[in-house]
Amino acid sequence: MPIPTIEARGLCKSFGPVRANHDISFSVHAGELLCLFGENGAGKSTLSACLTGLFPPDKGEIIYKGAPLKMSSAADAIRAGIGLVHQHFVLVPDFTVLENIVIGSERRLVVNYGEAEAKLRQICETYGIDIDPNALVRDLSVGEQQWAELLKALYFDADLLILDEPTATLDIENSKKLFRIIEKLKADDVALILISHFLDEVMQSDRVAVLRQGEVAGIRSTSETSPEELTRMMVGRDLEPKVRQASSVGPARLMLENVTVGQKGQKPELSNISLTIHQGEIFGIAGVAGNGQNPLMEVIAGVRVPASGRITLDGTEISGLNARVIKDMGLGHIPDDRFVEGLVPELSIEENLILGDHRGFYSRGGLLDFPKMRMSAERMIREYQISAPSAETPTGNLSGGNAQRVILAREKRLATRVLLANQPTRGLDVGVIEYIHTKLLEKRAEGVAVLIASSELEDLMNLCDRIGVLFQGRLMGIVEAGRTNLEEIGLLMAGQAMEEAA
Amino acid sequence: MITITPRTSAGWQAQLAAYVLALLLGFSASALLITASGASVSEGFGALYEGAFGSWEAVLQSLVAATPLIFTGLATVIAFRAEIWSIGQEGQMFAGAMCGYWASLYLGGAPWLIAIPIIILAAMVGGGALGGLCGWLKTRFSVNEIISTVMLNYVVVYLLSYLLAGGPWTAEGSTSYHQTPVFAENFHLPLLVGSVKLHIGFPLALAAAAVCWVIIKKTPLGFEIRALGFNPTALRFKGVNVTRTVLIVMCLSGALSALAGVSEIFGVNYRLRGDVMAGLGFTGIIVGMIGGLNPIGAVIAALLFGALANGSLYMSVLSDIPPSLVPAMQGILLLFFLSASVLVRYSINIVRPVHV
Repeated sequence: MPIPTIEARGLCKSFGPVRANHDISFSVHAGELLCLFGENGAGKSTLSACLTGLFPPDKGEIIYKGAPLKMSSAADAIRAGIGLVHQHFVLVPDFTVLENIVIGSERRLVVNYGEAEAKLRQICETYGIDIDPNALVRDLSVGEQQWAELLKALYFDADLLILDEPTATLDIENSKKLFRIIEKLKADDVALILISHFLDEVMQSDRVAVLRQGEVAGIRSTSETSPEELTRMMVGRDLEPKVRQASSVGPARLMLENVTVGQKGQKPELSNISLTIHQGEIFGIAGVAGNGQNPLMEVIAGVRVPASGRITLDGTEISGLNARVIKDMGLGHIPDDRFVEGLVPELSIEENLILGDHRGFYSRGGLLDFPKMRMSAERMIREYQISAPSAETPTGNLSGGNAQRVILAREKRLATRVLLANQPTRGLDVGVIEYIHTKLLEKRAEGVAVLIASSELEDLMNLCDRIGVLFQGRLMGIVEAGRTNLEEIGLLMAGQAMEEAA
Repeated sequence: MITITPRTSAGWQAQLAAYVLALLLGFSASALLITASGASVSEGFGALYEGAFGSWEAVLQSLVAATPLIFTGLATVIAFRAEIWSIGQEGQMFAGAMCGYWASLYLGGAPWLIAIPIIILAAMVGGGALGGLCGWLKTRFSVNEIISTVMLNYVVVYLLSYLLAGGPWTAEGSTSYHQTPVFAENFHLPLLVGSVKLHIGFPLALAAAAVCWVIIKKTPLGFEIRALGFNPTALRFKGVNVTRTVLIVMCLSGALSALAGVSEIFGVNYRLRGDVMAGLGFTGIIVGMIGGLNPIGAVIAALLFGALANGSLYMSVLSDIPPSLVPAMQGILLLFFLSASVLVRYSINIVRPVHV
């Protein structure tokens, strides 16, 4: 057996009390694609940072082409021939593609741009990437930026390429193209590590290393495993099959009549929306993100004021009321952006759990009720399985899934009549998604009207009683989840109005 | 190559050591400066110590000097915690002193038990209103608070100059002194028992620090102030009236600054004049920062700066050291303290790159 391109031996990395990586060992050979598969917070990103010199491991060693490799910066990794394609783009928007690529790679004082451009064009041709080296990065689409990010790694002839969730920003067509490029790289004897939590992609690799809670749960040859086994290894248990109780829809609870949102004189962000959600009903909003989901949720929650129209909750008009008043009437709101709209990342879990109720439920005699805060925080951390060292951990240190559990815990207590959930599962892994869905179904069983916006159509189909489709701020139609199919919704999402609204 | 990584936690001993070291290094650097100016370091520091702690009287005098700095330091803490960068402590202090004086004009021969609380209240209303004005400009018209507070500092300081030199508050027969006549005794802040210097402003400042600590740590308002500093969007999404919180913070900060003016004018000088207050507001910003934006820390920093101010008086009398070196020493100490606070939170390592 030839020497592996890279071999990790017992890597450990902790951040204070948080054990991000523990005793991780694996190897990747030239021409092989290894997939690192795991939930959010399983330690994938920490591991890739260790492998690319962003931070040194606490313990263990990295053997690179047969010799131990110690790195103290990303530059060391690049010099050794290890490339990382970031999940979040690390590009300078006001530079051209070529300039962005050259900054990190050339160490000469004067750069020969002509030569560099020729080399870049050569690479683009070899791998079939269609991009103008002289285009400014800020003029590129998100997908094209991903290619630029990849080119950065290809430019310096990496022997090992680490791809951190590269398809998160790519559409299906481009994802396929990426895998064609990966095949070519394999043929050129490049070793590849793909970090992913999409099973479709994972199954295209040669071997899979499953990470769970910072440890390697197992390594499998892809040809000898199944998606079911991998999921079980990742979550550490069997996923419960989804059971949908028959819906017992009650009387109307939340009603929107001709609601329009937007600044005067501008194209409305939401125009003329009318819909009714009943007690014990889950109403889904399908649509590509940015088609009016945020204004819809925010106008119901009282974060924004409608330009016209009426919103009623159990017959009482709530349009234009303050968000706090509406919250006190029994409305919970899981906002779109967890760390900006939902949490104060610098404050602790305990403090974030009282956000909004710090003057009511959690105060006594003008002071914050600390014993009550602590008790309820500890109860919620247990009940919602939030994995954190303590109630005093800043929420900014939590993974996306755990952060969402904190928001869910806070809002679920408030939502006695209505629960709004805006993209509640975006970017989360199967385990958390399943958990959040269970909680939404619990609310439905309690007779709460649930409004959920998601770009995951299949989730909506499984979860919702009815689905409305938003396109450019307009409600294109409402369909019964049981009596529709993906094609029908897909057409509505693309802007084709229904002949007859349901 | 130098890497800077956040520390997970530093024990209180390490923190204390860092700040003590900063103090020592700050004084060492000051010693270099004194040497450079041609004066004797031992003589200078000896005089400094004598003035700051050399006698019981010196200690009391240092506490008196610390009193207005505690107030302006607390004003800084409250505003900066909410990430409202108010530089208006100076103007608000002047406004407080002026409103207190204005009220006293109507109090005639009222007994001090009635006059003093009214003066204090009037000052707090004046300073609070000036702070509130900047808060309103910020929330209503998005006027940057740094600009508005700095500009209003000038307006208020020059308003006092006008009032005292030619305006309605000009003392009979003298326009050149820029001061009012000495107040009647019922307007003097009462002295503490057994003291000839220390007035009730000092215990009031300690009480204010305790109140600020409770507000920040224990009340819903303080929770909003801290959350506002980090992420106002999340507050807005939960229906918290962010505008109101900003206004409250600015009014509180202004009212605290105003108390600095009261303590300096009605507790020490017994006449309204601008020069004795000049700079106490700006120094309060440094005090608040050195105190780590913590009310207790601000008290400690103010005590240090009070001692330094008082000691420097002795230094300029007893040695050849120019008095203008004192603000330079304050600046040097600030630099070292801020460096220490960075070292407490981050570890800085020099890493030698390893070549493959």
